[in-house]
Amino acid sequence: MLKLWKFQISLFGILFAVILLEVSIIPAAWAPLRVDFFIGMIIGQIIFVPFSQGFPFVILGSLILQAFSGARLGLIPLLYIFTFMAIEVLKNLIYLENAYIQASLGVLFYCLIAAATAFLTDFAYLKGITVPLVVGALLTGFVSPMMAYVVGRLQMAYELEYE
Amino acid sequence: MGRSGSRVILLIGAAALILVLLSTGQYSSSSLGISCVREGYGIFEKVIRSPFSFIAGIWNHYIFLVNTSHENEALRKEIDELRVRSMNLEDIKNENQRLRAMLEFKEAFQDFSLIPASVLSQDITHVFKTVLIDKGSRSGFGINTPILNPSGVVGRVIAVSPHTAQVLLITDPNSSIPALIESSRVKGIVKGREESLLSLEYVRSTEEVNVGDCVVTSGLLGMFPKGLKIGYVREVKKDDRQIFAKIILEPCVKMEKIEEIFGIAQTVEVSD
Repeated sequence: MLKLWKFQISLFGILFAVILLEVSIIPAAWAPLRVDFFIGMIIGQIIFVPFSQGFPFVILGSLILQAFSGARLGLIPLLYIFTFMAIEVLKNLIYLENAYIQASLGVLFYCLIAAATAFLTDFAYLKGITVPLVVGALLTGFVSPMMAYVVGRLQMAYELEYE
Repeated sequence: MGRSGSRVILLIGAAALILVLLSTGQYSSSSLGISCVREGYGIFEKVIRSPFSFIAGIWNHYIFLVNTSHENEALRKEIDELRVRSMNLEDIKNENQRLRAMLEFKEAFQDFSLIPASVLSQDITHVFKTVLIDKGSRSGFGINTPILNPSGVVGRVIAVSPHTAQVLLITDPNSSIPALIESSRVKGIVKGREESLLSLEYVRSTEEVNVGDCVVTSGLLGMFPKGLKIGYVREVKKDDRQIFAKIILEPCVKMEKIEEIFGIAQTVEVSD
């Protein structure tokens, strides 16, 4: 049980580190660029962690992300829970352990999340940021397998075994 | 004539030559004789010196190189250090300019109690435009505290905690500020729109609006003090079938580059 708590605390530690990257360091380099590390963590949760633990992590994690957005309260958790559920369904259809599939899912859900936020305001808002959007999608695709791997390594490090 | 007589003649001749030379400015470089002497000496000196220089050059540059490598390395390090220092100085210079501008701005707005703050982070999404700042309710920030910088209005606080506050930028789609065109006093509402631009809405098509007009806060609703710069008219589209003109503004503040901002303390009365 203690290992489980340590695992979850480590995951949140990693989440805070990626938030720092997402909202401070990357925008300092290029203001309109956003790279989503959380999608990779969600993929890692689905592959390596049972639903009963992965789902609460996604809810709490997305609530933390909500604090860094001007979107209406609940929108960010809604989008990430949708992402979690969709990948959970896809788990039964495709081989999620493949890094290329993880990268493709990263790009796909990055685009879907951007489209969903724009849908609530106006799609015109995506017009001026096409280049950073494409670069962000590609970088998200690149980091998603890495984040999934980090979750897997962490789970192995704490020697957690699930049935 | 004896030997001593010829010596006297020689002395007189030499003295005369010196006098002539002195009187004609012989020490100037234009004096032909002196120049020839210098040239001759120069050639002689070169002829004598060149073999020594050649040997010394070979010795110093090709044979005696014991410390050169170390010296080279030390110099390279010194260059790198100087480059870093130079970059730091450039950064300090820019920061100094920014802070100076903010100080001048603060002095110009002495009637308001301005609280300086720095931007911590940007919004996590693409569409919404908010920033997190490093001052909160403990520093006097509250909901709807106007945020500005020396260039103009930045936004307003929408969420606050003891040490941080979330600022809704004026370019956000959910932002709206009562405003007026400075020259014609035509009132409207400034809203955020795509590509980090603004739009001035609810201005009748019959009103006189020109490209380049300055748009300032109107002071209505009491949220923002009157007369703060928001942006300049970039485009005006009028249609006879439409009641309102479509006016696009360029914000005065480059939202992607904001670092230091001011909040207007809530204790200050703003015009209504």
